[in-house]
Amino acid sequence: MLINVERPLRVMLIDDNIIDLKINSKIILISKLFDEIIQCQSGEEALSYFTMHSGKLNRLPNLILLDIQMPEMDGFEFLDNYKLLPEEWKANCLVAMLSSTLDFGDIRKAEANPYVLKLLKKPLIPAELATIFNANFNLTD
Amino acid sequence: MTRSPVKVLYIDDEENNLLAFKASFRRQYEIYTANSAAEGLKVLQNLPVEVIIADQKMPHMTGVEFFKSITDSYPDPIRILLTGYTDISALADAINHGDIYRYITKPWNDLELHNSIKNAHEAYRSKIDLRNKVDELEKTNDELNRFIYSISHELRAPLVSVIGIVNLVKMEGLYNSSGEYWELIESCSNKLDYYIQKTLQYYKNNKTTSDKSEIDFKKLVDELIDLYSYTDRDTQFKLNINQPHPFMGDSFRLEVILGNLISNAIKYQKDTEEQKLVEISIDVTPFSAEISITDNGLGILNEHLEKIFTQFFKTKNNKGSGLGLFIVKEALNKMNGKISVKSSLNQGTTFKITVPNAN
Repeated sequence: MLINVERPLRVMLIDDNIIDLKINSKIILISKLFDEIIQCQSGEEALSYFTMHSGKLNRLPNLILLDIQMPEMDGFEFLDNYKLLPEEWKANCLVAMLSSTLDFGDIRKAEANPYVLKLLKKPLIPAELATIFNANFNLTD
Repeated sequence: MTRSPVKVLYIDDEENNLLAFKASFRRQYEIYTANSAAEGLKVLQNLPVEVIIADQKMPHMTGVEFFKSITDSYPDPIRILLTGYTDISALADAINHGDIYRYITKPWNDLELHNSIKNAHEAYRSKIDLRNKVDELEKTNDELNRFIYSISHELRAPLVSVIGIVNLVKMEGLYNSSGEYWELIESCSNKLDYYIQKTLQYYKNNKTTSDKSEIDFKKLVDELIDLYSYTDRDTQFKLNINQPHPFMGDSFRLEVILGNLISNAIKYQKDTEEQKLVEISIDVTPFSAEISITDNGLGILNEHLEKIFTQFFKTKNNKGSGLGLFIVKEALNKMNGKISVKSSLNQGTTFKITVPNAN
C-alpha cells in the first residue's frame, strides 16, 4: 500500500545524540530523498513539534526516523504517545526505527510494533533509506 | 568463628516439660518457651527463631496444627514434633502438611533431642546459605545482563557513529584525501565492531536458556544473506532449501550459527575468483535439520582443520577474530547439534551441520 505524497517531503529525525543527528542529516541530504529535515533531540521535542504545527498539515513529516535508546522517553514510549495523536496528523507519515541496537528484545519489540515499518541499523545507508522510501511512497508530482 | 547460640523455641502446655527442657539445654542454646501455640506465635513474631520444637498434644491447637498455620508466614525455622504417644495419623499429617524435620517421642532422651536440635540447626543454616547464594547469583546475573545491554548500546553507539562518519567521507569523495588514513580508521572501526558483536554473541549464547520457536529456514537464510552481503555484492548464492516439515528450535542460536558461517563464506573468498559462489542446502525432517554450506573460497589448511573451532585461533591472513567458529561450536553444543568440516586449499570449504528438530 503506497502513500501518495508530493514534494516538498519532510523527514523527522529523533535522536538524543547530536553527532548522530548531524551524520544522519548529512546522509539524508546526500540521498536527496527528502527536502526538509526536522531534527529533534528527544521524543518530547518531536511530540511538541506535532502539536505546534497541528494547524499546518503541510509542515508535518512524511517519515520519522526514531532512535530507540534515549533518556526519559525512549523510542517505544514515543510510539505510545505518537499513537494517541489525531489520525489526520499521521495520515501521510510513516515511522522507521534507526538504532545501533543488537539487543534481540529491542529488535523483536520494534518489529512487533504496528507503527514501525522496519528497524534500520546505524549507520544509515542511503540505499536502505531509498528501499524503504520506494516501498512505501508514491511521488505524485 | 563464634556464632551466637542457636535460638530454640519450645512450645508445650505442661509447665514441667518447659522447665526440664530449659534445665537440660540452657547452656547450649538460647531458649524461648511458650505454653500454647498462641504464645509461641508471639515469640516467632518478635525473634528470629531457628528451631521450633512443639508438643503435639496441646489444648486449642495441636503441634501439627501450629506448624501448618505457620508454613507460609514462617517457612524458615526447622520444626521438631514431640509426641507422648504414637499417633500414626497425626504423624502422617505432620509429615505431609507441617514440613516436620524430626519427630521425637516423649519422654525425650537428652542426647537424642540434643542431636536433633543440632542437625536441625545445620539444616536451617544450609537452607539460609543456599538462599543467600541464589540471591547473590541472581544479582550477578542481573548485573551481567545489564552489562551486556550496556555494551550493546553505550559502547557500540559511538563506534557506529564513527563508521557513519567514514561512510559520509566516502560519499563526499574525501576517502582518499588523506593518504590511507580513512581506510585505516575504517578497518580499525570495523574490527572493533566485529569484536563487540562476537563478544555479545558469546555471552548471550552462554546465558540464554534455549527458546523454542518455529523456524522458517528460507526466511532466515535470506535475511542473513541480506545482512552480510551488503558490503560485498560479488558473491552469488545458490540456495536449496527443502523444508516440508515444521522445524522448532532456538532462533537466536540458529541465527548465530548460520550468520557466522555465511559471513565466513563471504569473507574468506579469493580476491582473484571471478565467480564467488556460496551454496547453502538445508533439508528438514521431523527429527532434524541437515545444513550444508559450501564456498569456493580460500579453503583451510589440513593442519588447521582441527583447530578452527578453538577460541582465538586465527590464521595469518588476519581477517578473523578467532571467535566466530568457536561461538558456532558453543552454540551447537547447547542445542545438541553437530558440525563437521571438509576443505581443500584454494578450492573451498564445506561445513555440515545437524541440528535436532525439537518439534
